[in-house]
Amino acid sequence: MTAQESAPILVVDDDPSILATVSEILKFEGYPVATASNGAEALEQIERQPPSLVLLDMRMPVLDGWGVARRLSEQGRRLPIVVMTAAQDARRWAEEIGAAGYVAKPFDLSDLLDAIERLRTD
Amino acid sequence: MSADALIAFLGQAIYAVVFVVVALRAFRYRTRPAVDTVLFFGAFSLIIVERWLAGLLRFQEPSWLTQVFTVMVLAWPYLLLRLVDDFASVPGYVMRAAEAGLAILALAAFFTPRPVPAGLLVAIVAYIAGFQMYDAVKFVQEARRTAGVTRRRMQAVAAGSLLLGLLIVLAGLQLAVPGLAPIWQVALRLTTLLSALAYFAGFAPPVWLRRAWQEPELRAFLSRAASLPRLPTTEAIVASLEQGAAASIGAPMASIGLWDEEAGAIRFKFGGDTFDVPAGRFISGRAFTLQRAVLSTHPARDDPANAGLYRRHGSVAILAAPITVGVERLGILRVSAPRAPVFADEDLVLVQLLADQAAVILESRALIDEAARVRAREEATRLKDDFLSAAAHDLKTPLTTLVAQAQLLERRARRDPTVPADAAGIERIAREAIRLRDLVMELLDASRAEQGGLVGQREQVDLVEMVREVCGQVPEGRCILEVLPPIVGEYDRARILQLITNLVENALKYSPPGAPVTVRVVERDGEAHVEVQDRGIGIPAADQPHVFDRFYRASNVDDRRFAGMGLGLHICHNIVTQHGGRIWVESEPDAGSTFHVALPLASATVPQVRREAGVTA
Repeated sequence: MTAQESAPILVVDDDPSILATVSEILKFEGYPVATASNGAEALEQIERQPPSLVLLDMRMPVLDGWGVARRLSEQGRRLPIVVMTAAQDARRWAEEIGAAGYVAKPFDLSDLLDAIERLRTD
Repeated sequence: MSADALIAFLGQAIYAVVFVVVALRAFRYRTRPAVDTVLFFGAFSLIIVERWLAGLLRFQEPSWLTQVFTVMVLAWPYLLLRLVDDFASVPGYVMRAAEAGLAILALAAFFTPRPVPAGLLVAIVAYIAGFQMYDAVKFVQEARRTAGVTRRRMQAVAAGSLLLGLLIVLAGLQLAVPGLAPIWQVALRLTTLLSALAYFAGFAPPVWLRRAWQEPELRAFLSRAASLPRLPTTEAIVASLEQGAAASIGAPMASIGLWDEEAGAIRFKFGGDTFDVPAGRFISGRAFTLQRAVLSTHPARDDPANAGLYRRHGSVAILAAPITVGVERLGILRVSAPRAPVFADEDLVLVQLLADQAAVILESRALIDEAARVRAREEATRLKDDFLSAAAHDLKTPLTTLVAQAQLLERRARRDPTVPADAAGIERIAREAIRLRDLVMELLDASRAEQGGLVGQREQVDLVEMVREVCGQVPEGRCILEVLPPIVGEYDRARILQLITNLVENALKYSPPGAPVTVRVVERDGEAHVEVQDRGIGIPAADQPHVFDRFYRASNVDDRRFAGMGLGLHICHNIVTQHGGRIWVESEPDAGSTFHVALPLASATVPQVRREAGVTA
């Protein structure tokens, strides 16, 4: 197992049920997982242990998805981000922050896994 | 022709012109004042024409004719007095005195041998000059009650009458002091010319003079009118236009009727009463059908079908003009006067001018209303769009867990059917399903609240017991009760429970973790008061008036920290008002909020009295 492979997927969402469910799914599929319930926590996690990719909710308290993306680009970190939002314009928001992909809530489990798989094999 | 002769000629010519003008006008509007005016100037013109002819044909005026002319001159003030009587009350004894004086002096002048004795001459001069003066004063007095062109014309007539009186005095002096003949001659001719000019201005003003007189009045009306379309209601605009029109015309009353398409009639409003005039009926209806200003000096005769109504209201003269913009027939401006107007043509022109102004104002008002309707529709659409996207977002959040968690359970079971059930996953599904159900119910309630159908079957409900029930369901120590003996009213049990639950949950939601809320139930002034107090984040003053609005969320609510669509308090408000109660909030940011609910106490013992009191209150 390489260092790259052992880096977790960071799930960021303020809704505890979604956070728990998505973590469960990823663990079940064998991915290492880290979680954060807002943007600020996410940045701390990234600082502590850089993830292989970030599943990022956009509207969150304390620091939202845009804030996270801006901070990461200021720090010069290039992390693949998959936007995960219930908003109508998920695609536009993903383009706005230069994300690698997006899933629109409520998503099919297979769509989520496909989006992740695509990025990891790239 | 010498200057002296020119002045004499001009004076006489102007009198003749005025006669022609008033005669033509009397032909158009056969009102009593018009006929009396013709008689007055007819007497003048007859003398003038006869003198011209006599001069032209060089024949000696027979003495009987001279005497007829003397009688006609004597009749001047009486004819003018008749005219005054047409629009202002002349006391009966004054009329009788004028008639008696005219008769006596005419007989005396006819049968007294020439030369006329000085005594009679003085009597004649005094009679004519005196009554001319009286007429002039009357005209001045009446002018004060009118406005605009009518007023100027009456003032001109008054001046003409004074000058005519002076003319008679001068003529008398000429006979009494014949030595100064040349001076009297010039003075006489000048006075004739001046009186002719004054009468000309009064009875036959040219268009440019009318326009000049009209201008200030119209300008005043317009400057007032400019702000009218901004008045809050069309009724207010109509009332203001009516006042303005009455003042401009100098009539005691002006009224505006607006065409009502549904009723098929022009609708006049008098205080709280409405009066519908079908097109073509009454004087106003005729003006509306003809689309031109109509004057009726004998409404009972012109419109016999409604004669009784006109007599009852004492309407002697009615002026009605259509209020029309292009092809849009908006209504009628109707002015009624207790007497026939002395210058009916003038008033008719003015009424039509004012009606045209009213049309412009009412039309711009209609445009403003239409613009406001369009804005309101756009705002409603925007609100609906905002709501739909907010609602969709809030519904998608629990759905995300439901779909993903269910698919995970499915996938897990497929891969290994022997693995034990994932209790945490199932619990998540159940919880999110309930959350989704509550959101859907809230949306349905909000929609029902709009239609006023939130409150259903009422029954006896003890508010104290209900508050205990709600508080019993929150974590220990977080709900402090301050209650008295049972307070029972007739309410929709499920809705009141929803109301109290919502207020208590709200209070807990915005409180610091673990902080308790206080609930009070008291009876005060025949009402049940429920108060829910928290020590939470509070509501900024600017937001307080709006917290019960649909979809409204206070500016200090972080909508990620506190879930919700901004419907809860809106539904609470509707539950309370549909019970006939009141709800309000007292709050200070960072100190907490107290929500007050006052519900009527449907008294079980005397329901009848309570209902009546509710109606009359």
